[in-house]
Amino acid sequence: MTNNKNKTTTILKKIGLYTLLGIGVFLSMFPFYWMFIGATNPSGAIFSMPPNLVPGDHFFENLRNLNENVGIWRVIMNSLIITLTFTVVSVMICSAAGFAFAKYQFKGRDPIFFMLLLAIMIPYHVTLIPLFELMANVGWLNTYQAVILPHLAYPFAIFLMRQNMRSIPNSLLEAARVDGAGEMRIFFTVVLPTMRPALAAVAIFLFMFQWNNFLWPLVVLGDSSMYTLPVALSSLVGMSRIDYGQIMLGTTLSTLPIMVFFLLLQRQFISGILGGSVKE
Amino acid sequence: MKPWKTMLAGALSVSMLAACGGNDGADGGADGEADPDEVSGEITVWGWNVAAASMEIAIEGFQEEYPDVDVTVEDIGREDLYDRLTVGLAAGGSGLPDVTMVETDRLDNYIAEFPDGFVNLSEYGFDEHEDKFAESKIETMKNNDGDFVAAPWDIGPAGVFYNIPLFEEAGVNPDDIETWDDYIAAGETILEETEAQMLPVDISADDNLFRMMLNLQGTYYFDEDGNINLHNEEGQQALSTIKEMREKDLVANADGWDGTVTATVNNQVATVPFGVWYAGTIMDQAPEQEGEWGVFKLPAFEEGGNRDANLGGSDLTVINGSDNEQAAYAFVEYFTTDSDAQVNALSEYGIFPSLLEAYDDPFFEEEDEYFNNEPIWSLFADISEGVLPANYTSDYARALRYSSDAQANALLQDADPAEALREAADMIANETQRDINE
Repeated sequence: MTNNKNKTTTILKKIGLYTLLGIGVFLSMFPFYWMFIGATNPSGAIFSMPPNLVPGDHFFENLRNLNENVGIWRVIMNSLIITLTFTVVSVMICSAAGFAFAKYQFKGRDPIFFMLLLAIMIPYHVTLIPLFELMANVGWLNTYQAVILPHLAYPFAIFLMRQNMRSIPNSLLEAARVDGAGEMRIFFTVVLPTMRPALAAVAIFLFMFQWNNFLWPLVVLGDSSMYTLPVALSSLVGMSRIDYGQIMLGTTLSTLPIMVFFLLLQRQFISGILGGSVKE
Repeated sequence: MKPWKTMLAGALSVSMLAACGGNDGADGGADGEADPDEVSGEITVWGWNVAAASMEIAIEGFQEEYPDVDVTVEDIGREDLYDRLTVGLAAGGSGLPDVTMVETDRLDNYIAEFPDGFVNLSEYGFDEHEDKFAESKIETMKNNDGDFVAAPWDIGPAGVFYNIPLFEEAGVNPDDIETWDDYIAAGETILEETEAQMLPVDISADDNLFRMMLNLQGTYYFDEDGNINLHNEEGQQALSTIKEMREKDLVANADGWDGTVTATVNNQVATVPFGVWYAGTIMDQAPEQEGEWGVFKLPAFEEGGNRDANLGGSDLTVINGSDNEQAAYAFVEYFTTDSDAQVNALSEYGIFPSLLEAYDDPFFEEEDEYFNNEPIWSLFADISEGVLPANYTSDYARALRYSSDAQANALLQDADPAEALREAADMIANETQRDINE
């Protein structure tokens, strides 16, 4: 009897839960679906009332126009080169810095770390003009490195790595040292493998940051053949004449790599979020 | 030579050197009539979207006159162009093109922030073209010394785009609408007969209707001396009129640009009072409504009053520090004063010239198929010749924000228009230190 009652309440609970989850899924998926609809229809269709919810047949025409306007494949290549290089190098630098802050004793460590935290609070726009002048003076306007280099040592990523690395037991490092491993070897073979969830989280974070980075690439990449995706898409927004079909298609193309990257690292990412919440 | 004279001469030559520094080898620019065959080099031009495209198609004609100048037009988004221009000018001119377009209402602000950022076109002799442009446009192109810092390109003569089927269904004749009272009466009839509202207004974010109404009455946020004037009689009359429309349910509160377009192409509004450039938007976004749109002049505030107003427009500037000022000026001069280049920009891309002789082109007499075979271009040409000048000032952007707030207060919070505008005027005065007209 009580058993039955429990069963019905669990079923009811489940129905309620799944309805809520279903609504959540719908709310989060619909904008993507709408984007896809826009990408396959002519520009004006996006304004029609009631809204048109069926994919249209303008996909290839939009693609052709988009390619004619901004050279979409070249732009995607630019974005991939910049973002992947940035992510790989930045993860290395930030994790090494995080390790140093977490596990080494040196003079001025805490003041330096404190200054680093302060750097997180400097608004992006304040650094824009001095940084631009710097790039102009060394002749790097219109180059990949001008986009990649300035943010390689990303304060928040260093902070995140440092917090995670504090949980590595000192005895583990000591044991490695006793066995005769050098500091580099300890970092690569002992520290990094235990940090995979944190590394994945930081990598996704840095990838998204650079993939979506807009203002800095806009300012520093003047030549349209060097544009990244967000910059190229933004160049389609004129004043009173906007082709929404092209923009929606470009947006669709630009969300795909993030999805792929996220799915690849998803398992690590989720355990990264949970990291620290459970002590084993 | 007396010692102090030597010093003075020394100081003078230093300052002359400094003055030439920005020219980077151009010949000081005093000689406007250079031989076209001797001008050579490469120049880069910034513009957005259809404006960039219309400069692109003018290159061929330009090179017939200046065969040795290569022109590259870069198509950059509108807000992006301003971001890059501001950063480049603030960084002392790095990464900038030779020529860029700037909207007229933003020009004063750029000149105030970066007085040395743009080449003085009068030094190249642009003054000789002064009479060729619509009068209201000319004053806005000059700096405080009366020199041209920009060459006038397009203007936005404003009209009322109206949905013909809705007007016919309600039995309203657009020719009968001469004053705003007529307009409101027509709106009420249309609302009753068709359930469509009269016009879209982006109430909380954009006050373009209010600005057109100010311009109709010969004023703007600021008067010709730069004093704050939006709260005076003209402003009150404008905002009260908009509020009256809102109270009679004639205003569709459109959310931003997209909301305005949505309302337009779905028969939700019977009219859209806007600048001429909206013609291109309607044609792009509602190709199937061909023949269903017409245009009439903005209504006047009193019978027989002024019905000509302007909304928007842009200009070309030459950036100080361009490696090739002479060639840059040559392009700007050619493009803004050549009738064919200007007519092509209009016929291909809907960008309306301020160059008066362009209006004599046969294109203006053509009937436009999309617009119900009406010769709308000659109507807009007629409007642009009658527009009263507006003084945008370097504080235009600030005034725009407070003015939009005043509109939102009056329409959404039911504030008294006079009080809402007075409050806006006080805020603007507080922020800009400008005097308020009492």
